[in-house]
Amino acid sequence: MAAEKQASAYSSTTAGAAVHTDTTAKWFLLSAVGYFFIVGIVAIMIAAKFVWPEMLGNIAALSYGRLRPLHVNGMLFGWLLAADMGLVYYLVPRLCGVKLWSEKLGVATAALWNVIVLGAVVSLLAGWNQGFEYGELPLPLDVLVVVAWIMFGFNVFATVATRKYQQMYVSLWYTMGCILWTAFVYLTGNFGTLLTTGVNQANLNWMYVHNAVGLIFTPVGLALAYYFIPKSGNIPLYSHKLSMIGFWSLAFFYVWTGAHHMLHGPISQWLQTISIAFSVMLLVPVWTVVGNFFATMKGNWPLLRENVSLKFLMSGVVFYLLTCFQGPMHSLRTVNAIVSKTDWIPGHAHMAVLGAFSFFAIAGTYYVVPRMWNVKLHSDALANWSYWFFMIGGIGFFVTLWLGGFWQGWQWNNPSIPFIDTVIALKPIWMVRFFSGIFMFAGIVLFLYNIMATVVDSQGAKPETQVASV
Amino acid sequence: MIPNSDKSTPIFAAASVVFFMIGGLLTTVVPPMVDTTWGRPFENSDPAKGPTGKLQPLNEQQLQGRAIYVREGCWYCHTQQTRTLLADTKRSGWRGVDSPISTPDEFVYDNPHMFGTKRTGPDLSRVGGKYDMQWHRTHFKNPRDLVQGSIMPPYPWIANNEQEFQAIVAYLQTLGRAKNWRPDNDFER
Repeated sequence: MAAEKQASAYSSTTAGAAVHTDTTAKWFLLSAVGYFFIVGIVAIMIAAKFVWPEMLGNIAALSYGRLRPLHVNGMLFGWLLAADMGLVYYLVPRLCGVKLWSEKLGVATAALWNVIVLGAVVSLLAGWNQGFEYGELPLPLDVLVVVAWIMFGFNVFATVATRKYQQMYVSLWYTMGCILWTAFVYLTGNFGTLLTTGVNQANLNWMYVHNAVGLIFTPVGLALAYYFIPKSGNIPLYSHKLSMIGFWSLAFFYVWTGAHHMLHGPISQWLQTISIAFSVMLLVPVWTVVGNFFATMKGNWPLLRENVSLKFLMSGVVFYLLTCFQGPMHSLRTVNAIVSKTDWIPGHAHMAVLGAFSFFAIAGTYYVVPRMWNVKLHSDALANWSYWFFMIGGIGFFVTLWLGGFWQGWQWNNPSIPFIDTVIALKPIWMVRFFSGIFMFAGIVLFLYNIMATVVDSQGAKPETQVASV
Repeated sequence: MIPNSDKSTPIFAAASVVFFMIGGLLTTVVPPMVDTTWGRPFENSDPAKGPTGKLQPLNEQQLQGRAIYVREGCWYCHTQQTRTLLADTKRSGWRGVDSPISTPDEFVYDNPHMFGTKRTGPDLSRVGGKYDMQWHRTHFKNPRDLVQGSIMPPYPWIANNEQEFQAIVAYLQTLGRAKNWRPDNDFER
């Protein structure tokens, strides 16, 4: 165990000599935080439409069917993936002990990413939607995403190739795994689907949808957690070996599970069974990772009291554990017959993408922004408030949708209840969801304000150096 | 291979792609080769084997209607699959007759597929022929005029555009019709 602890010491040895300009990370993070706020408004609007369906009802571009894909794509690609990439640009050079291979290429990637997100806003509001979940963006934007991903991947791999330490810390594996797997997953979901129809196409689509979460947001999110939990608490990672088991089991198990999105549906039964078996096996990578984090925190839990980043991180770990317990459970046929297609599903999905992975990204942003701009965080108290707004809003959102979803599923399974009565029954649930959304949005506002104010503070403190680097 | 993967980037990259590709290929490329019903359009003339009928490709107007269905994101709230659940066959049924379950061969021409993941509104896999033109016109203008308590948004820009309205209704009337599951073919037009 001692050797393992030593191996993980990379997490606490930041590059001594290399001076990081972090221009790329700054661009990515600031745009990501901005999109978090803008798309947060869209999120509130669609939550409101469940309660007041007539709201803005006569404007095609602001109808539910146009705003929902904007919410999903905006949050996934505009906020979360951009923030993840920004943080990767921060941590990869530090874990390798060298400068980023090319800041110029990085800034160009950030600029291209902004073009993609703005293009997505325009095309989705115009109804230019390809009709695939998570793959809504029109083909030209898909091509740009591939180009941006190659630019990102090249920069990361080139930096890793020039690294000073031979052994690579677990965050680097997850980052590189994410880059490689995303390439295949994205091509399958956005180009492979164009060559197929019907059930075959749906199978490719669900492979992409599931692995967009499992092999894009999970590995890059865990890369952040593996870096920021030891860093922000200043504690060594418990076990290198456990993290290895977690990584390789994720690499092998995750991709098999796509068909669990069509359980009981018109797709071969044996394929459904395979997807169920592998969904249950996902408990292995999840529990090893979570066990590793909890063991790391053993004896250090009091740190949570003062450390907002660590608070977000460890709450994210708990949400990760919960959401990844739900996943295998509701892939079981009996449970699936109740919860599938109900409001349980958005409750589950939000706990993964908001509760776990966005919490990791928020924690990372709070950690790196003061360090990159070389200034104190504007307000620790506000950061703490933002945590509680996210937490209360998040729990309100998740828990009511699970309860509502279960209830809805039971009602659906009793065909003597007319469908419309199952809609009316859920109205109080959607009202609570809307107000939980307001809480989460308040968290976003405080987060945005704190980050922007920190950047402004740094300009006031040392204008001559900062202008040059931003 | 694995024990050294944290020291060598090429070994790491090769191992992680191989690990991924085993499941990646076996769950995407292989299944349609094993289960050929995914690609064979539904056709049955023997009542002993279940509902008879033949899956027809959509005509130009129906395809235009389908494009509107995709554009407006109808598929975010309406699924198109009668699952192997008793309740689904009852809910997709009509006038006391249970609907047959959806099978892969009914969706061979679907592009993009519209199976959906969320059922905020009712499933539409067998909606074809259940409601007439006048019902749809009123419903698109304001769903609450026909269904009290509905939370479906109004779609005046479809209802007031005769060409688009005709097209989307033409598409909706095709849904689930490959199988002749109604006793007297008592469909609305």
